Amino acid sequence: MMLIRYLGRRTLGASAYAGALVLLGREIFAAFFVGQPRWKLIPAHILDVGARSQLVVMVTGAFTGAVFAAQTFFQFHELGMDSAVGPVVAISMCRELGPVLTGLMVAGRVGAAMSSEIGTMKVTEQIDALRALAVHPIDYLVIPRLLAVMVSMPLLVGLCIAFGILSGYFVGVKLLGIQSAYFMSNLLAFTDWSDVMMGLVKGFFFGIVIAVVSCHKGLTAAEGAVGVGRAATSAVVASSLGILIINFFLTLVLNFVFSA
Amino acid sequence: MITVRNLVKRMGSQEVLKGVDLEVHDGETLVVVGRSGCGKSVLLRHLVGLLQPTSGEVLVDGENIVGLDERQLAAIRRKVGILFQGGALFDSMTVEENVAFPLREQGVRDPAELRRRVDEAIEVVDLAGTGAKMPDALSGGMRKRVALARSIIGSPSHILYDEPTTGLDPVVSDSINHLIRRLQKRLRVTSVVVTHDMKSAFHVADRVAYLHEGKIYFLGSVDALRASTDPQILDFIEGRSGETDE
Repeated sequence: MMLIRYLGRRTLGASAYAGALVLLGREIFAAFFVGQPRWKLIPAHILDVGARSQLVVMVTGAFTGAVFAAQTFFQFHELGMDSAVGPVVAISMCRELGPVLTGLMVAGRVGAAMSSEIGTMKVTEQIDALRALAVHPIDYLVIPRLLAVMVSMPLLVGLCIAFGILSGYFVGVKLLGIQSAYFMSNLLAFTDWSDVMMGLVKGFFFGIVIAVVSCHKGLTAAEGAVGVGRAATSAVVASSLGILIINFFLTLVLNFVFSA
Repeated sequence: MITVRNLVKRMGSQEVLKGVDLEVHDGETLVVVGRSGCGKSVLLRHLVGLLQPTSGEVLVDGENIVGLDERQLAAIRRKVGILFQGGALFDSMTVEENVAFPLREQGVRDPAELRRRVDEAIEVVDLAGTGAKMPDALSGGMRKRVALARSIIGSPSHILYDEPTTGLDPVVSDSINHLIRRLQKRLRVTSVVVTHDMKSAFHVADRVAYLHEGKIYFLGSVDALRASTDPQILDFIEGRSGETDE
């Protein structure tokens, strides 16, 4: 009985949360038509979200590609399939590892910052001050951040993919002795632009998840420092879970789209 | 003019306002006093649409603002300046940027005009020379002055003050009271001041409303309040809790 009650409560909570996100999404959508989004704020947010996330994304991509190349080599070498390492690394980086890892890194770095910044503004009445000055928080706070993440994420995913493949090449060819010509020819033969596009499109949608979830957590932060801390933590958790869940559905849809 | 009719506000299971009726005349300063937690700030927030009531009406210059959404409220909010309890300055902006914010949002782009009006507003609140400072570098009283400069720069016809002297030492409180009075004379705005500081109330008020248990218990002139023999009002004015040391 206790378990059923617990599960029921959690289900209701999750449904209410999903509903709140949809309502925020509706407000954001409407703001593009009836609001006055502050376009001038977007470059500053792109600098913050995109440019300042480059290093972490490059390191993540490089080491993931390196590890993946090494692991693949050790398994494939037994079967004499060394030259398959290139395409396996490239396709994995493009389709899954690049976008998902970039999404998770950006959710951790940017999502937490976004939600705690907006949450602090809420608990110190700065958002009420905005409203009192006839400035809609969606126009001023949410849309510039959302657009900045939507622009930055595909670029960051591209960076992650590029560094993953480069480091995979370095580990496979320079360290483990795979023939460069075989590595490259197989990589180019089996990797298609649709693989890269899939990663970039996923990054775009992951960006929407990160921005909407993080802004929502900030806007609904409870009073006090504890509330802001909780908002930041739950923004990271919810964005990360959102990315992993939406990734499954995007994989199904995008495979259908790009194979058509 | 601001008119409040039968305003009821429930927050969770608690009924904070239980049918408030109030009229603030053009050009007057009405001070709403009452004990901490009696709903003064909640009432104030309804006057600019930051909170929506459970029932009742709030009319600003004859327009009922209850039920309007954020975008519909924008036109009304441009007529009303509000000073928040903690100032609510934007902490990522300098004093100058904070004060200029409402003008920029109203579309003023000319740097010379912006400079002139910001300097003027900062001077009115006696803070000349602090324009480049960040809010963190200011004292509580200075922050409230900057917030006040931000509230008046858009030339509102109404100004709402939420606990303008709370947390300030007596000397700074006195200077804020003088400032409110000076603004009143200079700008001829309609003002609503929410406070539990009776000294401040007596200093700035044209009329006083005493909010008690979610309703207006007393409404009248400062002299009428001073002359009141109602034990409830006397206890509040003289700060008597009814408790003893024993």
